[in-house]
Amino acid sequence: MALNAKIPKGPLKDKWQNYLNNTNIVNPANRKKIDVIVVGGGLSGGGAAASLAELGYNVKVFFFQDSARRSHSVAAQGGVNAAKNYKNDGDNIYRMFYDTVKGGDYRSREANVYRMAECSVDLIDHMTAQGVPFGREYSGYLSNRSFGGVLVSRTFYARGQTGQQLLLATYQALMKQVKVGTLTQYSRHEILDLVVVDGKARGVIVRDLVTGKIERHSAHAVVLGTGGFGKIFYLSTLAMNSNGSATWRAHKKGAYFANPSWTQIHPTALPQAGEHQSKLTLMSESLRNDGRIWVPKNKDDDRKPGDIPAEDRDYYLERRYPAFGNLVPRDVASRAAKERMDAGHGVGSLKNAVYLDFKTAIERLGEDTIKERYGNLFTMYQKITNINAYKEPMKISPAAHFSMGGLWVDYELQTTIPGLFAVGEANFADHGANRLGANSLLQASVDGNFILPNTISNYLSNEIRTGKISTDTPEFDEAEKAVKDQVEKLLAIKGTMPVDQIHRRLGKIMFKEVAMSRNEKGMLWAIEEIKKLRKEFWGNAAISGDEHGPNSELEKAGRLADYLEIAELMAVDALNRKESCGAHFREEYQTEDGEAVRDDENYMYSAAWEWMQGKNWKLHKEELEFKDIEVKTRSYK
Amino acid sequence: MKLTLKIWRQDNAKAKGKLVKYELSDLSTDMSFLEMLDVLNEQLASKGERVVEFDHDCREGICGQCSLVINGQAHGPEGHYTTCQTHLRSFKDGQTLNIEPFRANSFPVIRDLKVDRTSMDHIIQAGGYISSFTGMAPEANSIPIHHNIAESAFDSAACIGCGACIATCKNSSAALFMSAKIAHLAKLPQGQIERAERVVWMVNAHDDEGFGSCTNTGACAMVCPQEVPLLDITRMNYEYNRSLKTIDS
Amino acid sequence: MAIKKGLFKTSIGRKNLMAFTGLFTSFFLIIHLIGNLILIIPDSYFPIEFWGNVASAHDMYNAYSHFLVHFWPISLVAWVLYAALIVHVIDAILITLNNNKAKGEKYKVTDNSTSTWYSRNMGILGTIIGIFIFIHMTQFWLQYKVLENEHDLYNLVVATFKEWWVLVIYEIGIIALGFHLVHGIESAHRSLGVYPKNAMGIVKYIALCFGIIMAVLYAIIPIILYFK
Repeated sequence: MALNAKIPKGPLKDKWQNYLNNTNIVNPANRKKIDVIVVGGGLSGGGAAASLAELGYNVKVFFFQDSARRSHSVAAQGGVNAAKNYKNDGDNIYRMFYDTVKGGDYRSREANVYRMAECSVDLIDHMTAQGVPFGREYSGYLSNRSFGGVLVSRTFYARGQTGQQLLLATYQALMKQVKVGTLTQYSRHEILDLVVVDGKARGVIVRDLVTGKIERHSAHAVVLGTGGFGKIFYLSTLAMNSNGSATWRAHKKGAYFANPSWTQIHPTALPQAGEHQSKLTLMSESLRNDGRIWVPKNKDDDRKPGDIPAEDRDYYLERRYPAFGNLVPRDVASRAAKERMDAGHGVGSLKNAVYLDFKTAIERLGEDTIKERYGNLFTMYQKITNINAYKEPMKISPAAHFSMGGLWVDYELQTTIPGLFAVGEANFADHGANRLGANSLLQASVDGNFILPNTISNYLSNEIRTGKISTDTPEFDEAEKAVKDQVEKLLAIKGTMPVDQIHRRLGKIMFKEVAMSRNEKGMLWAIEEIKKLRKEFWGNAAISGDEHGPNSELEKAGRLADYLEIAELMAVDALNRKESCGAHFREEYQTEDGEAVRDDENYMYSAAWEWMQGKNWKLHKEELEFKDIEVKTRSYK
Repeated sequence: MKLTLKIWRQDNAKAKGKLVKYELSDLSTDMSFLEMLDVLNEQLASKGERVVEFDHDCREGICGQCSLVINGQAHGPEGHYTTCQTHLRSFKDGQTLNIEPFRANSFPVIRDLKVDRTSMDHIIQAGGYISSFTGMAPEANSIPIHHNIAESAFDSAACIGCGACIATCKNSSAALFMSAKIAHLAKLPQGQIERAERVVWMVNAHDDEGFGSCTNTGACAMVCPQEVPLLDITRMNYEYNRSLKTIDS
Repeated sequence: MAIKKGLFKTSIGRKNLMAFTGLFTSFFLIIHLIGNLILIIPDSYFPIEFWGNVASAHDMYNAYSHFLVHFWPISLVAWVLYAALIVHVIDAILITLNNNKAKGEKYKVTDNSTSTWYSRNMGILGTIIGIFIFIHMTQFWLQYKVLENEHDLYNLVVATFKEWWVLVIYEIGIIALGFHLVHGIESAHRSLGVYPKNAMGIVKYIALCFGIIMAVLYAIIPIILYFK
């Protein structure tokens, strides 16, 4: 099937309006006859569910947490971008579009990015009206901070818990719709398969994580807002239960998976301290506004950070990138840190960290100001490490964070399966090869609240005569049987190797060869290792307990089974792309001083992969056109 | 380090539960509490035994999914920490730890240490929102909010909904949780229109869910991971009494 | 949509009722104390030319009690007070029953370091006070006002406090009262919603002072009478 992105006609700035002018809308009286399933209760899924319910559709929302308020959007710290130009610093929608496309290293879809920037303005209004206590100036007006990769201040924030506040606003809107009765929520339910009837997404098979029952649910359309799959690295900034299973099962039912190898490695997470570590806590990028990153100039300098004089410190970001300094985009910052650590300048007992130092900022602004801006982050840092960051620098390290890749979607956010939509991090569209800080909350929110409700109606307008979808069909039977078979197969392994240990080993392979720096030999090795590990998993995984009732080992195993397949596709995708762009850095393609070399001639496309029943994947290219922006070499020097 | 764990094991809400003893050795003080439970579960799984079910997700203290009462203290001994932020350096080598689920009549046990906290969702459903639909909002800067009021609203809005306040309350009252949302929205200009109805609806829902009355012991605020101010409960009572005047007119 | 439940059927409504009745009773304690203090005024403080007919604490105390019993507005207030006390007790029982129902299975290990013992045990303190009030009222109120067995209340009081066990009962009752007040006064203000930050700070301080002052003064009188 050829890819059709369905980009509306007209000049860039009018495309979204043109789309809205011409799209089909469902009559309010007909909406209650239409069922929509939303998977995921976070900013994208929850926002979509609440907005669709407000419009009058029958919405069912599924999530594995015990409440939608726990979705991982909650963990985003620093802020959300919007082109409000409250600072009078020359910001506007075009500049935001420009920054995002450039930040993504010219590998995103122009029209989508522009629309995201356009909707950002409304988003701040929406969230403020929902009661989000954004940071304010003493005049009472909204305050902004700067984020990496841009030269203006356009990031709105609620201390260091912006994601939490946006999510809670969305959650509250969701709860209101539950009360009104247009929305039913299924907490502690995990989607295990998508049901496709006559080529259209018509329902899902879910497992009730409390009773263990496998259930069927049907709808006229299915929306996936299930987030990213960065947990594939095991050690990541993601929540323990975040997973790629919903998108992967959809992929296996025919949805193309685009650019899976583009994983953002976040530069400012806490370093790994020991073998049993399960999580690398993120320290917001906003810290780089006031913190300075450095390592000792001398290798293996064992002095305490406070004892190292200025002349023995290497502020490597300020040295290499004088224009953007500590605020270079994430991929650049992470690679620079890796370069220093590989060269033996890492700090900490495992030599796996760099310093993030607030001394200069505290001297200039006072401890109180720093406390007000980042108080909760400093507290969090102390809780985890037992170190007071007001007194000595933080130790930070790169960690797997965001999946730029995801299900391929067109301009309407529809996947290659008609009736299956993907929103937020679960899709691939807006960030190109690298996501700018504070654009994640933005994309998730605008996808859910502003874009999907308008685009899904175009699809649903053809469904008003369909009637209730029966779950008593061969397609549902078959999908349910497949799910039950897999559960049985997993429980029958009865091996001795704990699931988490296999996951940890997968993470190590991936972080070594399919993360910040990649090469052909390494990835070929990785694919072999992944295959071996997959075999070991199916032969010797230790999954105890049974399928009746809660069984966290079974849940983890199901997710890992999918990760073991996604991992291979990631490597395949990274192998295919013989250039360096954004987060994808191929060692074979770099300048003499270690900067990325892009190949616009041959690789200016999004790679959408089609599942070929496990034999391999078929590549479909979506060629990218840049008409409104000059394609340049990305430089932050 | 070595630890002896006495963990609450219970098959489901109706079954009878009991404390079961486990010994763990070779632990590191840098480990988080939940990573220690991971170690235990890995051992149990490789022996083919059913693992200890416990709730957890983000492991950075913000999602509110982790629970547990450790030696009688909700979220462990540190105060204002979540369980996932509690590290083994807070305990002594060789110590015995008693690990129980969050307990309240409105928190039925799902299995072992997992409890069902949807009763808290029900309180929010009753009125913990501003009824502004997508698309309705006016320009954000059209309503200025004093810096201090926004900050104070944030202090209340910071609640992560973990339920430690309820678990630790001798009356199993959800007053702090509920009042955090009421105070957050009552402080902001956007929340004014529904202010009176909100508090009444939420308090009614709170009682219907079977939570107890607040007797102002203040224990809740001492364990709250986000340090939601105890004063919010007082604020809620004020809002409730104020609503007598403003509703029914 | 029906908005309000019965005012005193919700968890906050019931607490409001506790607060009102508690605060009203606390106010009465001040009046009661003033009367009690007469008991310990030495007779040397009664020069005839200054006090007129009242020549001793004995006279003054009896005159005061006579006034209380026979001045009708005071009687009216007394009935309100009895009602307040009864409502306070019944409400407390209802709240406690409901709170016990709200609790699930008990913790095997508890740690109470997060709150004060007296704030957790208002019910027990209240029960001690209730028993104390019962004894107190059978000893004096019943004899003097209801049965009218005794017309010289001063003599009755002084005689009663010569018994050591009476002294012990009273001291226990009064200490319980002191702790009950320290938490009760603050809690009442919280229940009623006195929320500005500084106001709550002042209330907390007042509650502490009130509890201590009441307890100390009430406690000291029986001791003085015992040794007098």
